[in-house]
Amino acid sequence: MSSDQSSNLDELVARLAEGDRAAFTAVFHQLWTPVVRLCNSMLRNEADAADAAQQAMEKVLERASDYDPKRPALPWALAIAAWECRTILRKRSRRREVSDDLVADAPTDDQTMEMEQRLLLQNALSAMGELSESDRETLIATFLDQAGDVNGATLRKRRERAVKRLRDAFRRLYGVG
Amino acid sequence: MASDNLSLIERRVRRKYEWARARRAFWGFTPVLLIVAAAAALAKRPGSTLTFGALMFALGVAALWYGRDVRKAVLPGVALGLIPLVLALCANHMHHVCMGDACMSVCLPACTAGGLVAGIGMAIVGQRQRLGVGYWLAASAITLLTGAMGCSCVGYAGVLGLAAGFGVGLLPALARKLLR
Repeated sequence: MSSDQSSNLDELVARLAEGDRAAFTAVFHQLWTPVVRLCNSMLRNEADAADAAQQAMEKVLERASDYDPKRPALPWALAIAAWECRTILRKRSRRREVSDDLVADAPTDDQTMEMEQRLLLQNALSAMGELSESDRETLIATFLDQAGDVNGATLRKRRERAVKRLRDAFRRLYGVG
Repeated sequence: MASDNLSLIERRVRRKYEWARARRAFWGFTPVLLIVAAAAALAKRPGSTLTFGALMFALGVAALWYGRDVRKAVLPGVALGLIPLVLALCANHMHHVCMGDACMSVCLPACTAGGLVAGIGMAIVGQRQRLGVGYWLAASAITLLTGAMGCSCVGYAGVLGLAAGFGVGLLPALARKLLR
């Protein structure tokens, strides 16, 4: 999805949150494909993914009125969808409804963890976008272990503040963290 | 077939969206029932207070569910409606004011004065918000229904007094809007 489409989606979801029903069909169609793709990659079964996508879309649009227009709509919707898919996976494994074939096809713990990490990384990058330039630089320098000529105590203080702000931004955007 | 299926899913998701909005509107507006209960407990005619309260609650929930401009009318509507409501409930407990031989109920003048203040307030808030007709109609209806919970103290005359006062208070703003 291009940044133009993404900002268009943000605007449409914001309108829907306000109660503008004219935006409903457009929001539904713009979210459907990414949500199905995400559920497909998590559940690895087309039929189950379609069911899960439907449930995920219900959850996303049920919560449309809670949407904060300051947040990007796509990661917000995908986070809800991913949570829904994970819940379905968990329920299935608890009830042992999964057939042997599906168990074999289902993502391994490593794959699930990788997908979750990818999603988390995507969310963390969105949260990073909320920070100031200097906070971003501090965090990137920390990540790359390139503290430059800044002395230890100053860097530590700066890093603590940047991490705190990142955590706040993450919590504000995704309600967790 | 696939597109039929997708439109079926869309309809189902749409229903969920509407129900979620309705639930949210209902629970979000329930604190107002405390005002209705308090007004009914203090009013002389709890029956009519509860009727107006139920109408106001239904209208508020509908406005919150509908959204857009109309949703923004709910809070100012209730807040401004509290002015005639509180005045009328206080007047209820003052019984009559006598001047010489003539005695009169304070309820009617209290409702008219409360309506006038609410109307002026509505005009100020409405002009600041610069929203459409839906906003004005919803806010006015909620204000009048909230006030009417107390103004039914002297029967429908109190409600008429409230409406008249409200209309007079709102008149300058409406005239200015129409003349533009």
